[in-house]
Amino acid sequence: MQASRARLFKEYKEVQREKVADPDIQLVCDDSNIFKWTALIKGPSETPYEGGVFQLAFSVPEQYPLQPPQVRFLTKIFHPNVHFKTGEICLDILKNAWSPAWTLQSVCRAIIALMAHPEPDSPLNCDSGNLLRSGDVRGFQSMAKMYTRLAAMPKKG
Amino acid sequence: MENQDEIPVEPETESSTFISAYEADDWSNYKDSDVMLQQSAIFEEDAAKSPFVGDKEPLSSLEAEYKSGSPILLEKIKVLSEQYAAIRRTRGDGNCFFRSFMFSYLEHILESQDIAEVERIKTNVEKCKKTLQGLGYADFTFEDFFALFIEQLESVVTGNEAPISHDELIVRSRDQSVSDYVVMFFRFVTSGEIRKRSEFFEPFIFGLANLTVEQFCKTSVEPMGEESDHVHITALSDALGVPIRVVYLDRSSCDTGGISVNHHDFVPASDDNDTSSSAAGGSDPNPNPNPNPIPFIVLLYRPGHYDILYRK
Repeated sequence: MQASRARLFKEYKEVQREKVADPDIQLVCDDSNIFKWTALIKGPSETPYEGGVFQLAFSVPEQYPLQPPQVRFLTKIFHPNVHFKTGEICLDILKNAWSPAWTLQSVCRAIIALMAHPEPDSPLNCDSGNLLRSGDVRGFQSMAKMYTRLAAMPKKG
Repeated sequence: MENQDEIPVEPETESSTFISAYEADDWSNYKDSDVMLQQSAIFEEDAAKSPFVGDKEPLSSLEAEYKSGSPILLEKIKVLSEQYAAIRRTRGDGNCFFRSFMFSYLEHILESQDIAEVERIKTNVEKCKKTLQGLGYADFTFEDFFALFIEQLESVVTGNEAPISHDELIVRSRDQSVSDYVVMFFRFVTSGEIRKRSEFFEPFIFGLANLTVEQFCKTSVEPMGEESDHVHITALSDALGVPIRVVYLDRSSCDTGGISVNHHDFVPASDDNDTSSSAAGGSDPNPNPNPNPIPFIVLLYRPGHYDILYRK
């Protein structure tokens, strides 16, 4: 518990320092609980998520950093490796490939990379995965783009 | 909004049952947190059965394990018992090599009070830190693990205070918050060494796992619970400059007739490989005065697992 707190505090300081270096990620710690974080990440360019801002919720376990943080999308997203309802993310580093060499910040980077490079062979959103697996890239992109507009962009007017 | 209705998906024959919305609802009840809870429950169950580091047992306990097993193994255990007196088991949680190394090393220092060795390994640990920094690891990701190892190391030698007791060493080795941190320290050191000398390790890794050096370190070295192979052992031994003997207990028999037990000594490569570039600065002027005759760390390897062996 003490170790995880100390580590998170170091990450907090690092995040303040890196703010300028990584404008696509805005990582914020809960005012009253250092084990709860949220992040706003920008949809990577040249993907159907471009122009969208996606919110992630982090829940950090007491055994952190020996155990990974739990991360899910709060913003609805149409992506093969993200559960459409719960926002759960299928990403190896959040499960068995986790190591303390990762940080909350680098997890955000990995999620952005996953947005740009979906892995349709291990889908949490089967509809999305099936579109890609059947080669219907245009179908996938238009669905993903639609949900980006609906859920991840500021409403006009 | 329900996306299931909107996309005309041709149900695949083998997974058609999975596609129905009801099934999907069931699956959505299983969250990551449930999976992790279940996993930790399994670990706790294992923990109750065997501690991270067990008690010292006479070698005969090994024999008892194979009583009705392969005669070759029983023969080999007999051969082993000529040289070795005892075994200390470690938990088979994928960290057994690192855990065995940790206990064996600290126990040796505690018993020998070899201050020169402590100073020597501290120098190497410092180099490992520089290696990781050179590879771009942020200090805060690894420094806690390094600090905890140094703390354990200092606790087993006489310094300002008397060294901890042997019992206390066992207690600490079984305490997850110490034991896992030291294992993770070794994982960082191992990963750093492999990446620093990636040209050297590349062919071995390719033969073992068909992965790039980078992928291998990310997936098979740094995560807890990933099992160790000769690549890990070589890298750790080189990085810390500690020789390791691994005795192999398997069913292989020699064609020449007599039963013998194979072992392999991992002897650290002489300091400062020319292939390394990132570890520049302050090369060690000490050309390893003592080309270690027999490693003081002896591990027993049975396919998939490492335990600690004690000489007679």
